[in-house]
Amino acid sequence: MTPALDLEDLHVGWPGQDPLFALAGLRLEKGQSLFISGSSGSGKTSLLSVLCGVLVAKKGRCQVLGHDFSALAATSRDRIRGESMGILFQQFNLLGFMSALDNVLMPARLFDRRNQDACRLHGSALNQAHSLLEQLGVAPQLWGLASHQLSVGQQQRVAAARAFMGEPLLVLADEPTSALDDLHRDRFLELLASVGGQAGASLVVVSHDQRLAERFDQHLVLGRSAVASE
Amino acid sequence: MSVWFKLALLSAWSRRLAVGLVVASLGLACALVLTVQQLRTDSRQSFSQAVSGVDLIVGPRGSATEILLYSVFQLGRPTANMSAKVLPELRALPLVRWAVPIQLGDSYQGFPVWGTEAEFFQRFQVHGQALGFKEGQAFDSNGLYQVVLGAEVARRLNHKLGDALVVTHGSGQALDKSHDDAPFTLVGILQPTGGSVDRAVLVSVSSYEALHHGWGVGEFQGLRLGSFSGAGQKPSFKDLQPREYTAVLVGLHSRAQVFSARRAIEQLPGAPLTAVLPGVALDDLWRSLSLVEDTLLIIGFAVATTGMLSVVAVMLVALGARRRELSILRALGASPSAVFGLLYLEAVVLGLAGLLLGFALQQAGLFLASAWLRESFGLSVSLGLPSAQGLMMLAGLLLGVFVAAFIPALRAYRLSLADGLNPAQLH
Repeated sequence: MTPALDLEDLHVGWPGQDPLFALAGLRLEKGQSLFISGSSGSGKTSLLSVLCGVLVAKKGRCQVLGHDFSALAATSRDRIRGESMGILFQQFNLLGFMSALDNVLMPARLFDRRNQDACRLHGSALNQAHSLLEQLGVAPQLWGLASHQLSVGQQQRVAAARAFMGEPLLVLADEPTSALDDLHRDRFLELLASVGGQAGASLVVVSHDQRLAERFDQHLVLGRSAVASE
Repeated sequence: MSVWFKLALLSAWSRRLAVGLVVASLGLACALVLTVQQLRTDSRQSFSQAVSGVDLIVGPRGSATEILLYSVFQLGRPTANMSAKVLPELRALPLVRWAVPIQLGDSYQGFPVWGTEAEFFQRFQVHGQALGFKEGQAFDSNGLYQVVLGAEVARRLNHKLGDALVVTHGSGQALDKSHDDAPFTLVGILQPTGGSVDRAVLVSVSSYEALHHGWGVGEFQGLRLGSFSGAGQKPSFKDLQPREYTAVLVGLHSRAQVFSARRAIEQLPGAPLTAVLPGVALDDLWRSLSLVEDTLLIIGFAVATTGMLSVVAVMLVALGARRRELSILRALGASPSAVFGLLYLEAVVLGLAGLLLGFALQQAGLFLASAWLRESFGLSVSLGLPSAQGLMMLAGLLLGVFVAAFIPALRAYRLSLADGLNPAQLH
């Protein structure tokens, strides 16, 4: 079975700069979860950029969902991201000019594969959007609101619903809880894990908060030389 | 594509106030350019329409442009008249097929009075069309006490066939039907032509003389009263033989001989004459006006360019605040090219909206101003699709929109490449 991630001797850095770190090897099986931690500036966000195909590794093997990202053209990586990945930022995840529900539906509207999978498993994209929003605890009266009318916590839940829309194979989250207080953070991570588990998607979460690590199958600590541990 | 299109529209709609103002400014700019162009074409058209069918216009020695302007367009005033003896001399020339005199200088209720002969109605053409009568007919050969009205005069003054008009020298007063002091009878109303004849009050040369003989008004500068004297008294026909003409319209047997005919006319013994080729004189006129026209057009284009640049500037400023929006779209799978397309689409849609608004404003403005333009300048403006030149201009503006739209789109492309999923300002 193709692993979600298969990385080896991966040198990551921005163009024109020295690599931030080198990753000896990492393999994340389908449906598993990975926690990436490290101090500020250790390259967490850069690694995430490589994994979602926005940035190309300077050197090494970068197999994502069976695709060799080092060899693929930028537009192919963009398409794979759109068709097979969900992305979650720290905050400001939603397009302000449409409702929460429309935001959740975006992946299905933009990519046929997402729409087809949503229809196959839930009858329609709208059904899946409703069910995801319900699972994540977003009350129906909030669905029609614009993002600026929602609290930060509500926005994150809507964004999570969007990330899981249309059965993505891999969900990447960059500091998804740092805008939330402790109570909401734990609740949000639980939801993320349970929704991810049900969907069978691999989950990668980046955070500087080591306390979250215990919930994940794997833990990668980024430093001068990155170490992966089970 | 339709999803992206919807995204572009939704995004623009969320910024509708700023976007609306920008579209309005672009619309005004485009309306200005289109209006200048339209007036340019229409004034040329109106002018050239007014003189078809006439090969030469003969006036006293002077500027060809002036003769053309005052004889056909009633712009300006003749500085001198010709002796009436010129007419038989012109008619005697072998190259000349017909010659029709025109007397000008008076007005009736603000409309110019043309003294002419009945033959005028067969000869004079507007836009290549002979004059036609909507009602009635031409005045009799000497046509005393009879008047024919241009279409617009009849419409504006609400005159009907058989009405009695008191046309007096100077500013004519409204008619009093019971007044028996030599009123004119309305015998014909012309079809609308779009030319200056629509605004004409046409009487025979004899009637025109009669006006000057003081029905109601005693004095007239430059009139040689001759044997006749006494206001309020009906002059005899003999007294009404015209002594002067403002201009004579001439038709030739063959247009090819127009230069020989001009030479023959200008070499006639007696008072020196100028024979004007309407087409050539118009060309001269346009050449002398072209600097003004071109300047207006350049100003119009400068304003339109400013309008487009303001669209670009507003979009560029807005891009700073929209970097998060762009990175969300990137996260959702949009390539930098898709981001480029989205912004390009938005700029083009705004530009097109501006153009359409400009066209609508221009049409509405011309529609509202058309009556005033017609009355003040005898200029008839055409509404609807612009002329070939106007279309070219629209195409030019359209091209400008498509080029200008590249600027914010390219900027968005570069931003989304550099930012990836993490807009720099948010970190």
